[in-house]
Formats: sequence, C-alpha cells, structure tokens
Amino acid sequence: MSGAAAAVPGYGCTIDELMVVTFSRAMANDTRAFNGAVSFIPVCGYRLARRTHAPELVWAASSIAVDADPAVVGSSTLSDELWGGASMLANSPFDFWTYAQGARYNTFAFRGAQMDAYGNVNNSVIGPYDSPKVRLPGGGGMADLGCMIPRIYLWSSTHDPRTFVDRLHFRSGIGWGDGGDHRASLGMPGGPQLCITNLCVFDFEQESKRMRLASLHPGVSVDDVQAATGFEVLLPGDEVPTTAQPSTEELHILRTEVDPTGARLREF
Amino acid sequence: MGPGSHPDSPPAGDWTVDELMIAVLASCFEDGDQACNGMASFLPVAAFQLAKLTHAPDLVWLAGAVGLEPRPGPIPASTLEAPLWRDALMYVEQYGDFWTLAQNGRWLQKFCVGAAQLDRFGNANNSIIGGDFHAPKVRLPGTAGLADMGSLSKQLYYWNPNHNPRSLVAEVDFVSCAGYLGGGDEREHLGLTGGPELVVTNLCVMDFEPESKHMRLRSIHPGVTLEQVLEATGFEPVLPPGGVPVTPKPSVEQVRLIREVIDPHGMRHREFRRR
Amino acid sequence: MPDGATVALGGLSMNSAPMAFVRELVRANKRDLTVVAIVAGMCVDWLVAAGCASRVVAGLVSFEGFGLAPNFRHATQSGKVAMEEYSEHLLICRLQAQARQLPFMPTVAGLGTDVPALHEASGALRIETDAATGRPYVACTPLAVDVAVVHVHEADVAGNARVNPKLIWMDSEIVNAAERTIVTAERIVDTGSFTAEPHRTSYPRFMVDAVCEAPRGAYPTSCFPEYGHDGRFFEDYLGACGSPADFANFFERRVAGPTTWGDFLAANDPQPVGDGGEVGS
Repeated sequence: MSGAAAAVPGYGCTIDELMVVTFSRAMANDTRAFNGAVSFIPVCGYRLARRTHAPELVWAASSIAVDADPAVVGSSTLSDELWGGASMLANSPFDFWTYAQGARYNTFAFRGAQMDAYGNVNNSVIGPYDSPKVRLPGGGGMADLGCMIPRIYLWSSTHDPRTFVDRLHFRSGIGWGDGGDHRASLGMPGGPQLCITNLCVFDFEQESKRMRLASLHPGVSVDDVQAATGFEVLLPGDEVPTTAQPSTEELHILRTEVDPTGARLREF
Repeated sequence: MGPGSHPDSPPAGDWTVDELMIAVLASCFEDGDQACNGMASFLPVAAFQLAKLTHAPDLVWLAGAVGLEPRPGPIPASTLEAPLWRDALMYVEQYGDFWTLAQNGRWLQKFCVGAAQLDRFGNANNSIIGGDFHAPKVRLPGTAGLADMGSLSKQLYYWNPNHNPRSLVAEVDFVSCAGYLGGGDEREHLGLTGGPELVVTNLCVMDFEPESKHMRLRSIHPGVTLEQVLEATGFEPVLPPGGVPVTPKPSVEQVRLIREVIDPHGMRHREFRRR
Repeated sequence: MPDGATVALGGLSMNSAPMAFVRELVRANKRDLTVVAIVAGMCVDWLVAAGCASRVVAGLVSFEGFGLAPNFRHATQSGKVAMEEYSEHLLICRLQAQARQLPFMPTVAGLGTDVPALHEASGALRIETDAATGRPYVACTPLAVDVAVVHVHEADVAGNARVNPKLIWMDSEIVNAAERTIVTAERIVDTGSFTAEPHRTSYPRFMVDAVCEAPRGAYPTSCFPEYGHDGRFFEDYLGACGSPADFANFFERRVAGPTTWGDFLAANDPQPVGDGGEVGS
C-alpha cells in the first residue's frame, strides 16, 4: 500500500525523508513522546532523534511500549509489531492515561483529515455531523490528548486546500482553539509547536496563535503554499528560509536503521 | 438456620467464645458473596475460611484485599501479608482493581469491621479517644479503609472481642466508619445504601431495629446473662419482644475445623489479648 | 530532601516500606518533614521518634497485630506532631487529582464520617452535591508531594523498576503524584532483564529520578515474596518503649547508630532471605 514520495530538488532525498528529519530535529532530548494510529512520520522522527541528537528521548510505541526499538516499522503504528525491545509495556487504563493527564508525556503528534490555522484537527466527519458526506474514523484520543499534552506537533503529507481549511467541519482535537489565549484560558498546557507538511513547515505566531510559514521546502514558493492552503498564510517578518537539508548521516540512519522497509511511505 | 448453627454436626460440648464468634460471623457469608479482609482481622479471616469449608464453598475470599481465592495454610501472624494469600488465583492490584471493585456496589458487598468504639447506631471509631482531635487522649491507628467501606454501599458486620462500656458506647468520639449516623433515615439521606447488619461480640449478637436503626439485642451467648450484657453496654440496646434467645453453640465440626485446619496456631486469640 | 519537604513513603504497615531510605533520613537529621503514607507503621514511627516529622498525612499508622505505633501515638496525643487523617481512598483520590492535574477527584467514600469535616477549613476535602442527580460526594483536591520513595525488587541504572511479581499495593499512587521519585531496590539488574519481560515493569525510567541499591531494604517490614517482616524486631522495639532511656538506647543501637545499612542489618541479625512464606513472630 506504499505510495511514492517526490524527490526534493538538490537535497539527495525524498520529501518523506525531509519531513522525518525535520520532525526529528524538532525533538529535544527531554522529549517524552508516544504515538497514535497511522503515525509513520512521527514514529520515524522519534526513532531518528533518539539515534542522533536526543539519546534520552522517551518514545512509548503505540502509547504502550516504553523505549521500544523494533527492527523495522511495520504496517501499523498501533500494533505489537512496533513493541520490540521495550523496557515496559505500560497498561493503557491506568499507566498511560495517568502519565498523559499528568503531562509526564510531554509530546504528541497528530494529523487530521482537516486542520485549521490554529492547529485544531478534524478526523470525524466531512459535511454536517448528523448526515456527513464522509464519515471519518473518529478522533480517537485526539480530543483527550490535545488537551493534556504541552508539545503538540502536526504533520500532513497532503498539503492541499481540502486538508488545510479555514473552518473545520468538526473539531476532533484541540490545538490553539480559537487562538489567542483561548487554550490557556481552558487551563491546558502548551499547545501546537510546528506543523510539518510536504510543502513547508509552519510555526505559530505568538499572539494570534495562527499558523505562520517558518520554512519552505526546496522548489516550493510562498504562492504555492498559499494556493494549497484554505486560510490566509501568515508570513514571517524576514524572508522565508528554506527547510534545512538533512545530513548524510541522518539519511543513512533513517534508511538503514530507523525505517529500512520504507513504512513511512504509507502516508503518501 | 440461625446464626452459628450448622446442620450437619451437633453442637459442641467443648467450645470457646472465639470459636462461637467465628461460627456466627461465618453464617453471615454465603455462596456468591465476595469478602475481603484488612489488617488484624483474625476472626473474619477464620470465619471466611470456615464458611468456605462448610456451607459456602463458593464464597469468594480476597485475602488481605490482595490474594484472590488463596489456599492458605494455618492463619499467619498478619492478615495483611504473605503467606495468607498463598496459591491465590490472582493478585488484585490495590491501586486500580481493588478500589474500583470496592466502589461498585455489585462487588464486595459485605465487609467486616473491627474498631475500638462502636455506638448505638453502628458508627465506628478507630481514630481517637477523648479530647480534641489534634491532641486526643488516645491516638488510635486511624480510619484506613473503614471510612471508605462504610460509605460504599456495603453491608457491615462488626466484631468486638472485648464487649465493655468503653467499646460499645452511646456515641463514638469520632465517626471513622459511617453506620446509621444519627439513626432513622439519616444514612439514606446522604445517598448511602447498605449499612450495619450485625454486631458479634464476646457476649452477644446484636442487629439493628429497622425503623430507628438503633442497636437491638438479637441473642445472648450461652452462659451469659442479660444483666451482664446490659452492664457491659454503654447504652440501652433495644430488646426483642418475647425474650432474648441464646446464640447457638458452634458445632463439633466447626470447632474441629477452626482448631485443626483453619487456625491451629491460635492467632485468633491475639484479638482478645490486644484489646 | 530539604527540611520541610513533603515526602511520601510507599508500602504498608508491615509490607515493603522503604526502610533503608527512612533510616538515612533519620541519620541525616532531617527536620519538619510532612510524611505522606497511605497505610503506615514503623517508617512513620522512626521519623517521629527521631524528630524528623512534624506532620503525618495518613489513613492509618500502626504495627498491625503487634499493636499501636508508640512514638507516633505519643507525639500526636501531645500535639507535637500533627496527624492529618484521611481514609485510604480519600487520600488516594487526593493523590490521583494531583497525578492527573484535576481540580478534584470525586468519591462517595468517607461520606457520613467525621473525616471530611477535618479538612473543611483547609479546603482539602469538600462535600458537594451533584446538580444533576442530587447525589452528595466528597471532592478531593490535589495533594502536592515533593518526593516519593518506594521500595522495589529490581531496578536498572536508567530507573526502570519492577515490583515482583507485580505491583499490588498503592505505591504507584504516590509515584504518580510526586514531583520526584526515588526508588530503593533489592537488586540492580541489567536493562535486558526489563526488555525480556516488559509487561512486568512497574515504573518506567522517566517516572524515576534516582535509584539506590538497598538489599533487604524493607527490613524490618517484609518484601513479599522474598522475605517476611521480622516480628522479633517489632517486639524488641515495643519492649524498649517502657522508658525514654531504654528506647533511646535501643534506637541508637538497633536503628540510627550503625554506620552502613550492612552494619544495621548485622545489628539486627535478620532471618535469612527466602523465608518470606513463613511470616512469624
């Protein structure tokens, strides 16, 4: 079921690899992360970060398997294929949800079928909720974890106006909410940090909490991003930088150790 | 069948009051019940085992609130430690499983309570005696699980191996375990179901008058007089109409099981020494 | 562990209390500690005897079948040490509210008793009524804990820790609520011991800030299933409480005086490990 990802001009890698490396570099050494379903890019990102600049990073595979180090990433990011080498299988009802509520886990990445300028996501319905055009899988833990986890990352391998919308049809998971201090006023810690797509990287403008272009992938213009985005894209004061190039070592580790079978391409 | 009777075996000639109390407590537990015990609960632990060995083989016992359906040897020096839960089917986790089960009214419906003071409405105290709470005359161990189990829809069975006016009082100095509170429907008003069912002492058995929820004499142990009971009780219990029956003696077989199988080391006697 | 800290101790009255660590608190002459222990015994009595504790937050403090905890009893009766009393589940609910960063945890445990009223002035517990159903409940507010100390069977150098055969007591409630957690372990083992059986790991390394090797570290309490409590120690301890001089002498000789944990064990001559199935006294 794997798709193919476009080559990144001049970088000696493909777009999936650029996304994984960009995600990995955003991870600090004190990251304590877990992953949900169909999260190949974050899973590869956590694994790569741990093998490079963030050796102390905690990753609980499928939210269960602490410090897992499987030989390959399989066809699901929410199954026991991913649990090899774990030092603890944390039970879900007590351990996981307690750690998550207490922000012992501090990092979570989610993507939705729709995402808005404030990093809120929809994975429930397209169209009216009671008679939807498309019934999506549902929010799963998004509604919960979006409220609890301070460092939220978003990603999308399908940056287009149907995904990046001005108005979600349903808010399955909260990012910065209505923007400004809305999230903080609800007593929630932190909020979305970055959104990494197949065209660019967004961060969030400090006051409004709206997505702001942080870097463009090689060969992509501001106009390309605006045309692919259903809301107005904020631009930084200075010129938009180009997303940094992955190092040879990062690409080598990604291709040979982190994800040798290319499971990450299932997202494309 | 009254409390303490045992259909298959004649009344014992040679018995002691600890054995009688165990037999009475055992008669309160039936097949399908789940029972758990806390610390220093030698009489209840003996009673659960006696019930299982006689009329209630399907009584589920959670030893020390940890070991599900153990097959222990003789009762050990602690009722909250190994080897009480030897050969258990499961170690129930206190943090997740036990307190979730205990809060759900479907499980662990009957609970045995031992405390330093018990009052006429079945409220129990194991926290302080006399004086101010913060500088009491006697500091007792504390409520531990009593305040929880008393409010969690349980049927409460009290045991008191030292029936005297200091332990059976008109009003407890501190409510560590909710009984019928001020009596009547006060407990019900708080939304609490269950409540005290029976009090088994070394002198008598008492239950609770259904309307007033006041403690009522139900039977007096053989060889004990009504005067002795009244003298040893810090309030006037309700008397049943038509005289107080005598508590049935434990059976020959019950006494044999207690002495030879369940508690050959006589750990049950610690409860009498201690109070 | 600064003076004045709130320290939560694991175990029960007679089971798996972190005694080696508690002894070091005594030896370090810590002062003004608030000791949180859901169901406690000797650990609290040592800290009270040595003047380390000014406040005890607990559901119960006793030596179970051996009797009341003498120093705790005298100090609380004289008002020298404050007893902040909860029931087990009310205390657990406060710890859970802290661990989950909730304004309160509801329970009906303790309703009708005098316990909630003890905490009305501080606001730690509130009796409220659910607007929809009219049912009363106790709102248990978060209880902040600076350091949790728990004793386990095995830990690795990263802090992964295992209670063998599994976590059955309430220690995880204090670990989850605490800012920092210190684990004392019977043995330090390789991480491979955890990856071989990850389903048996009790605490992950990110919940554990420090690990201390402490063989027989729960003595004189038990560490099921490896060793039982030492009934003789409890009896000797209570026997020495007849006079302050006798107790001071006993406490110095058998508790605080010995230099190392090994010296302490030698002074008390415990039964060999492996007799956990035969708890006696």
